[in-house]
Amino acid sequence: MSASPPLLSVEDLRITFDTRRGPVEAVRGISFKVGRERVGIVGESGSGKSMTGRAVLGLVRPPGRSQARSIRFGDAELTRLSEREMRKFRGARIAMVMQDPKYSLNPVMTVGRQIAEALRVHGRLSSTEIRACSVRMLEEVAIRDPERVLASHPHELSGGMGQRVMIAMMLVPEPELLIADEPTSALDVTVQLDVLRILDGLVRNRGMGLLFISHDLRLVSTFCDRVLVMYRGRIVEEIAAQDLPQARHPYTRGLLACLPRIGGGGAPLATLSREPSWETPLP
Amino acid sequence: MSAASPSPPRIEVRDLTVVFEGRGRRVAAVDGVSFTVPPRQSFGLVGESGSGKSTILRAICGLAPVTGGTVRIDGEAPPAGRLAFARRVQMVFQDPYGSLHPRHTVDRVLSEPLQIHGFKDRDARVSAVLSDVGLGPEFRFRLPHQLSGGQRQRVAIARALVTEPDILLLDEPTSALDASIQAEILNLLNRLRREKGLTFLMVSHDLAVIDHMCDRLLVMQNGRMVEELSRTSLDSRAVSADYTRALLVASEGFRRGAPAPEAVPVSR
Repeated sequence: MSASPPLLSVEDLRITFDTRRGPVEAVRGISFKVGRERVGIVGESGSGKSMTGRAVLGLVRPPGRSQARSIRFGDAELTRLSEREMRKFRGARIAMVMQDPKYSLNPVMTVGRQIAEALRVHGRLSSTEIRACSVRMLEEVAIRDPERVLASHPHELSGGMGQRVMIAMMLVPEPELLIADEPTSALDVTVQLDVLRILDGLVRNRGMGLLFISHDLRLVSTFCDRVLVMYRGRIVEEIAAQDLPQARHPYTRGLLACLPRIGGGGAPLATLSREPSWETPLP
Repeated sequence: MSAASPSPPRIEVRDLTVVFEGRGRRVAAVDGVSFTVPPRQSFGLVGESGSGKSTILRAICGLAPVTGGTVRIDGEAPPAGRLAFARRVQMVFQDPYGSLHPRHTVDRVLSEPLQIHGFKDRDARVSAVLSDVGLGPEFRFRLPHQLSGGQRQRVAIARALVTEPDILLLDEPTSALDASIQAEILNLLNRLRREKGLTFLMVSHDLAVIDHMCDRLLVMQNGRMVEELSRTSLDSRAVSADYTRALLVASEGFRRGAPAPEAVPVSR
């Protein structure tokens, strides 16, 4: 990690769901920091990784409840903000990209109108300025024919194109932190890498922080600087991405071992035995 | 092509073309694809979305129109009355949440095909197939929402196996599952193939999964064949098409410092 103060610092975050059978803890007291870097959160379904991303933005919906000793962003304490004050951060300074552009874009609005709406919410621009700004934004996410994309409806775009549009929209207010929840999981492998290169460039050129939530350990280990491994609501290991092959926690090692590899031979894959002791984070 | 050769391939697909037409547009989802799969082998179709890989599976079992070319099973074209054919060729779908009836118990899901195909001793067969896929008797009267994703996919595999087929058509059977559950399901499929002498035709976008599961594979793009490879040549990276090489690179994850993406044309 860099010596500069972290952008985001989360302490003792807990997310509880009240169910008929009593409260269930989806996230059980996790703490982490994100600087101007790429931090990955990896875990399987139900590990609490997506909830963690939503909690930072105050987007955990009832019956879920999130509480934290502290969520500091820059010099603001997000846990003390009212819903109204929180809206100044959401989207403007912390943005979020979700998994599937099909569900995050409005199907009956052209892309141009949706981007214009985002621009209008975050600043006062004339319609000529909006037009010019929209084109520039789409060029920044490597779309070659922005005019045509602006005139299109979401169903006329491929998945990769839709995700580029989503990322472009999120970047309108120049956020300092981007939370990306499985941003490339719905995309083809070759398209996936294009989208990652765009995100990578944003971290490098704009000094943005990126919290990258994914189930794909191989992708995270090659893309991120640091990886937080979540298992059943806890961060069980925090490790520099390049050190993942030497991971110490049995869960992390198990996750790596169960992936098929090209040239790995046809021998049965390792499976996870899920010991109760795995819930204990590494010291 | 003589159907009377001594040992015909279990699956033979020759110049298969599937064309969808509508609103004045004509799309060749599969365009002149040929391959053969010998008995008890496992063959993979790999490609990205829109490559036509799933459409081939659907065309084989009659869920997509065969516009041109032939599909032969053991040297014979699928018969018109397809019941006997359906018993022998079964499909496992990608999404275990969508492919099971939400209000049918596991028992009903597994008994129905037996009834349709006129099997006797259904009760014994249902419990046998459940144990084949590693589910205990306690799962028999559960509904899909009471099962995890991995358990549902086991039920879907059991449903395919219960009619004692020779061929399983596997359409991305693990891509909706967590990595550790994927490993369990792939191990299960390999064991079942060995024990029951099954022939697999498996579709995946994941080159590593196909490499792990299949003896040979066909790389596809935009409905056309790119190249056919053996597992050995894939393992040694002995590939000839640039597209296959791009898939291989992509399967290794992200590489920092790789050239920035070129601006892409708006294709769709």
